[in-house]
Amino acid sequence: MANKVAIVGVAQNAGCESKDNYYDQAYQVTRELLDKTGLKKDDIGTFISASSDIFHGGISCANAYYWETTGAFLKNGSRQDGESLFALFYGAMRIMSGHYDTALVIALCKGSENPSNESCTLMYADPFYQRGVGLNETLAAALQMKLYMKKSRITAEQCAKVAVKNLGNALGNPYAHRRGRYSVEDVLKSELVADPLTELQVAPKSEGIVAMLLASEEKAKKITKKPVWIKGFGSSLDSYILGDRDLLNGQLRNAANRAYKMARITDPGKQIDLAEISEPYAFQELLWMEDLGLCSPGGGGKMIDSGKTEKNGALPINPSGGVLANNPYVSRGLQRAVEAVLQMRGEAGERQVEKRVKTALAHGTHGFAGQCHAVAVLGR
Amino acid sequence: MARPVGIIGTGQTKHGKRMDVCYPELVREAVMTVFAETGIDPGDIDGVVSGTMPSMMEGIALTHFYFADAMQASGKQILKTETCGSTGVSIAHTAYYWVASGMADLVLAVGHEKMNEGDSQATMTTVAEPFYQRFFIAGAPGVFSMQSQMWTDRYGIPEDKLRDAAAYISVTHHNSAFDNPYAHIKIRVTMDDVKNARIITYPVRLLDVCPNSDGACAVIFASDKMIRKLGKKAAWVKGVGYSGEEYYFGDSDKAVWQAAIQAAKQAYKQAGIRNPRKELDVAEVYNPFTYQEMLFYECFGFCDFGQAPDLVLKGTFGRKGELPCDPSGGTLCTNPIGATGLIRTAEAALQVMGKAGDHQVPGAKLALAHAMGGVDQFNGIIILGSEK
Repeated sequence: MANKVAIVGVAQNAGCESKDNYYDQAYQVTRELLDKTGLKKDDIGTFISASSDIFHGGISCANAYYWETTGAFLKNGSRQDGESLFALFYGAMRIMSGHYDTALVIALCKGSENPSNESCTLMYADPFYQRGVGLNETLAAALQMKLYMKKSRITAEQCAKVAVKNLGNALGNPYAHRRGRYSVEDVLKSELVADPLTELQVAPKSEGIVAMLLASEEKAKKITKKPVWIKGFGSSLDSYILGDRDLLNGQLRNAANRAYKMARITDPGKQIDLAEISEPYAFQELLWMEDLGLCSPGGGGKMIDSGKTEKNGALPINPSGGVLANNPYVSRGLQRAVEAVLQMRGEAGERQVEKRVKTALAHGTHGFAGQCHAVAVLGR
Repeated sequence: MARPVGIIGTGQTKHGKRMDVCYPELVREAVMTVFAETGIDPGDIDGVVSGTMPSMMEGIALTHFYFADAMQASGKQILKTETCGSTGVSIAHTAYYWVASGMADLVLAVGHEKMNEGDSQATMTTVAEPFYQRFFIAGAPGVFSMQSQMWTDRYGIPEDKLRDAAAYISVTHHNSAFDNPYAHIKIRVTMDDVKNARIITYPVRLLDVCPNSDGACAVIFASDKMIRKLGKKAAWVKGVGYSGEEYYFGDSDKAVWQAAIQAAKQAYKQAGIRNPRKELDVAEVYNPFTYQEMLFYECFGFCDFGQAPDLVLKGTFGRKGELPCDPSGGTLCTNPIGATGLIRTAEAALQVMGKAGDHQVPGAKLALAHAMGGVDQFNGIIILGSEK
């Protein structure tokens, strides 16, 4: 990779409903990031945001709303729709192109002002065949979970363990929206949302403004002593019609392989020290781990049983609590990257893992049963 | 500096009221056209940039999901760029940076809109914030009429001259649309027709304003290395500029419009342009409203502030003038919004590649394409040249 790009600062806000308005929240997080990095607004080269009109409180053209409050006034910028890791990739590309030496990347979603995630994601369904039957992301995930349990012999208990682990991890995360000590039984007995998914296995609807400052190699050294490098990134989009797709062999492998190739990762299970995976539905953490090559195909269940993915296990997955604990829909991918950065810098507070993290992975997904995936590999 | 990047082909649908095709078919029409024109196999594309207007206008959210197959994007890397009306140029920018970063050699950029199946003006009213401004914003014409009046008042432009200049622009663009096989509105109008057309929001009349079009556009961006390997002619990206300003409409000056001025400045600096009227051979200015087009001429430095109506009436920006603007008929005759900025880019590329057919500006070597969006808030520019 010709021009190296570093993450030199991160900031985020809490996932629970805030009394502050969206505009002020966007300002506060931007302000915090600038203060942490010691830069002024005018020092920033370019601005890339991520937001989505369907998740934007009834305001269309979301980027119009927050342009100046996130410091982008009269700056060259752009916006990515739906998945915030896209904004990280685009910001990195702008620096790699040589046009800019700093990029402010910010993801914005105020879930408390949106309808339910199911209502929003129903709008992904085409209006002729799928929307009428009420297909949304949660129903698509329930279908995928049934298939996964049947074909890969994953048990309901193994899926529930993901929620137990992640909501427990979230006890150490001040930004988490939902947290608690639950048993497998608690999870399985929580309200049925879409068979076999129960409430504690479905991510909440959270607020989240998540910001990150990217810099070129030369600039990074001037800003921080602890740069985290973007080693590789990749994405992949699947076909649209749910019934046309193999829900257990989706595009995540493809996205991961692109990121691994760029980062020169050949054995992800060994070379990746920690992963923050987007698991809006508990079982997806197991399925995505398989697709990411962090365990063997079909080995997701055994992996959670082994305890390796616990906060202080051999390969911690979602020590932040993941998306199950905090789900600002659009911002969740970038939030995974922010959490990975905090772990690598040793700044994760109570949720800091014991092992030394040299290489970490951040993953984002959106669309029915993971129609689109994005993967970033970060390194010290 | 950045690696050279060029456009090697463009594909447009026949724009208009396209009730003969569904939305994915419309997208596919543009995408397959660019593949046929360039001979590139969809399998060779490294990444796809998709973009459109807000979900309320589309009737479907996060449209890259729905159009994955129509864009031949299944299994591909994807970026989804949206910046309101300026989306089309922002899509082009994204494709440009992607290739310039060295992360891809061939990127497909796709913009689309099926406006006859949505309600564009209702959607645009929801861009304004819901507490103070939304009740006053009656779709796009309301905002742009206010801007036109601010500009007219600032420079004391006499009403007769203003209406003459606006009518002149409308007549010439409507004539030009007959030379563009993809254009939507093809009608012959006279100066009197324009001046006596039904008022939409003063001073904007029906023939001063763009239509609701269905249309899609696909453009392939390639690296220098790939262009050499393919042995293709290219329209080279010489400069990119983008700028955005305050959300609250009343917070900024819309006559001396900084977002437009700064976007042009950035692009000119990269392209080494000092005197745009002299150095540019053609410009595809985003002109949904005749009055606004004149304001853009001034903000882009094509002439001094307050001077545009005089120069328009002299024919300076006509097809045979010093700097022909919108020889395609422009946005005034064709406006599938999510595609429009990319259509401007495609038209600029066609001009510098000498492929614009009946609306070719003879010998065009350097072209500007532009799009505008938000609550009169964003401007994006891309400059293309025949030489690397």
